Amino acid sequence: MDDLLEQFLIEGRDLIAQAAADLDTLRRDPKDAAAIDSAFRAIHTLKGSVGIFPMGPAERVLHAAEEVLERARKARAMLDAATIAAIVGCLDAIDRWVDDLEGGGALSPDAEAVAAAAIARLPGADPAASEEVAPAPSFWVHALIERERGVLQGATTALTAFRYTPDAECFFRGEDPLAVVAGVPEIVALAVLPIGGSWPTLAEIDPFVCTSIIEGLSAAAIEAVQAAFRMMPDQVAIHPIAPFIDAQPESVGVTGHAAATLRVDAARIDALADGLGELVVAVNAFAPLAEQADAIDRDLAARIRAVQAGIERAASDLHRGVSAVRLVPLAPTLRRLPRMVREIAASLGKQVAFTMSGERLEVDKQVADGLFEPLLHLVRNAVDHGIEAPGDRETAGKSAAGRITLTASRDGDAILLVLADDGAGIDADRIRGVAATRGLIGEEAAAQLSDAAALRLIFTPGFSTAAAVTEVSGRGVGMDAVLTAVDRLRGTIEIESAPGAGTRFLLRLPANALTTRLLIVEIGGDRYGVPLDQIVETVRVDTSALMPVGGGRACVLRGRTVPVLSLAALLGVAERSNAATKLLVTRSGGENVALTVDGFAERVDTLVRPSSGILAGVPGVTGSTLLGDGDVLLVLDLPALAA
Amino acid sequence: MSVRVDGDVIHLAGRCRAEDAELLIVALQEHPGAAIDLSATQRLHLAVLQVLLAARPPVLGIPDSEFLAQHVVDLMQ
Repeated sequence: MDDLLEQFLIEGRDLIAQAAADLDTLRRDPKDAAAIDSAFRAIHTLKGSVGIFPMGPAERVLHAAEEVLERARKARAMLDAATIAAIVGCLDAIDRWVDDLEGGGALSPDAEAVAAAAIARLPGADPAASEEVAPAPSFWVHALIERERGVLQGATTALTAFRYTPDAECFFRGEDPLAVVAGVPEIVALAVLPIGGSWPTLAEIDPFVCTSIIEGLSAAAIEAVQAAFRMMPDQVAIHPIAPFIDAQPESVGVTGHAAATLRVDAARIDALADGLGELVVAVNAFAPLAEQADAIDRDLAARIRAVQAGIERAASDLHRGVSAVRLVPLAPTLRRLPRMVREIAASLGKQVAFTMSGERLEVDKQVADGLFEPLLHLVRNAVDHGIEAPGDRETAGKSAAGRITLTASRDGDAILLVLADDGAGIDADRIRGVAATRGLIGEEAAAQLSDAAALRLIFTPGFSTAAAVTEVSGRGVGMDAVLTAVDRLRGTIEIESAPGAGTRFLLRLPANALTTRLLIVEIGGDRYGVPLDQIVETVRVDTSALMPVGGGRACVLRGRTVPVLSLAALLGVAERSNAATKLLVTRSGGENVALTVDGFAERVDTLVRPSSGILAGVPGVTGSTLLGDGDVLLVLDLPALAA
Repeated sequence: MSVRVDGDVIHLAGRCRAEDAELLIVALQEHPGAAIDLSATQRLHLAVLQVLLAARPPVLGIPDSEFLAQHVVDLMQ
């Protein structure tokens, strides 16, 4: 991708987000003059940026939105809710076109119509007038500006550029395009250009065909130039040129901002983190060295331990620093969701009020990047299947507009994202029925599932509850894709639903993906690592408290019966029998499951490498890590083992 | 007669119309290297200007017409 475009995709979206945030502030406090100023500046700068790309409709829309804000700024007037909504609509359109630009390089074919509609919604907007004031700046304007740079630099007032492409047959009708141009008032520059870029040779020239394009600059107003071409409006393009085209006062602010922040390729940070991980592992090698030294010289051993502690401290400071660099706010990931909700709701004829909170929370970049797809899918699902049609809602005694909220919060080492809607909820019995009909589960097995487990059936590949596959949700991707994406981020997802009242999806994701905190456990004489974020709790119970249930065992924890599985058996190693049983409680398939281990050892903070080679095929093992003594520790995936 | 050949100079005099373009092509082909005298030109049809821009002959004189003198002669330099 070309650098300019890449830069624009980042900065353009930043500006859209900035303006959207300001408008959100204005919605709550319409008197906030600073927010109007900030929105105006963002939209003004954005208008300048889109001008570089083939985004004529975007420039027109932004120009119209800017005018509205400028009027409000000058008059110190408040913006009403309808105006704010109209400007948000403009930003949504721009945001979609930025996506278009990223995807295929061209705006969608309906861009002109969308632009006209967005402009028409703005107060005091006359679509025809704005068309004249800010028509699409085409390639020709840029070429003309280049060509006439000298004239433009000397200009102190606005100029009007025109491009007249006479009909090829016009000579036959007795027209003289040059005479028409001679009628343009106050011409300051003129050029006659060959169609196709070069003039034919004398031998090839056809004297009866017009092969010229006439471009020029006039110091007269747009209306006066238009009047000169009134007989052939379809053959003429006119564009206003601001004076001092080179001067861009905003650029000062932009430069100041750029100096304060630095955009770094994420791969470089990853390399740094990798190297740091190696350093942490290398430092761990001091511990056995000190032990060896103990036998020879206790003083030397003590000094080695002191050195080790010093390096560890420095490494962990460094580690915190690198982790912090990788932390990014959730906002850029989430900012496209409100627009998506508005679009999806509109396409389904539903009314949805969508609010977000906690988007300033910072998470590891990898998590932020991986979050958008599953969230979008859940949001889409909530609008499509959760929120009912306005009529149905009113019948049910609810407001016509549905509510969807997305809340992000920090929970220890994890972040918790809760997507809640006040829609129809999910009927567990219906899910059981559909899953059985689709042959995903036996009828009997389905009947035995708890409601919570039954709801999780929607994550089964091939499951779709929509009676008709709708345009919105039915894109051949099921909710199983959500589960896969969340799994990949080492997160978990849970569903809570109350039929008639709504549904909540709870996503728990590690906030720091860089290193993983592991609890080392002993099983059958071997040591394994278990990610702390997979552990709900560790408990010791008397072995006699384990009750045989069916073919397995269970125990009662906090008043609930929890199935107990032997980790040794799952791993295929010899099981020891102990008087007291140590249990590792994890969540698998939405239910708590306890796993027996022989012992708990220390906790370590380490870099887990994903499984590769022969380990890649071993189920229940997510990766491995090097311990300080050089031993390799296998890291277990408890939910997968317990499933 | 708008197109008149005089030795190595082709004079474009008075109001040059679309039809003159063809005459100019012939004149230029018959007198390669000839210069164009615009001093008596009152009006220049785009059809004629196209031929001049394609052939790029040397140009002599300044036309009476202010529009031609200020904006069009420069295009042929």
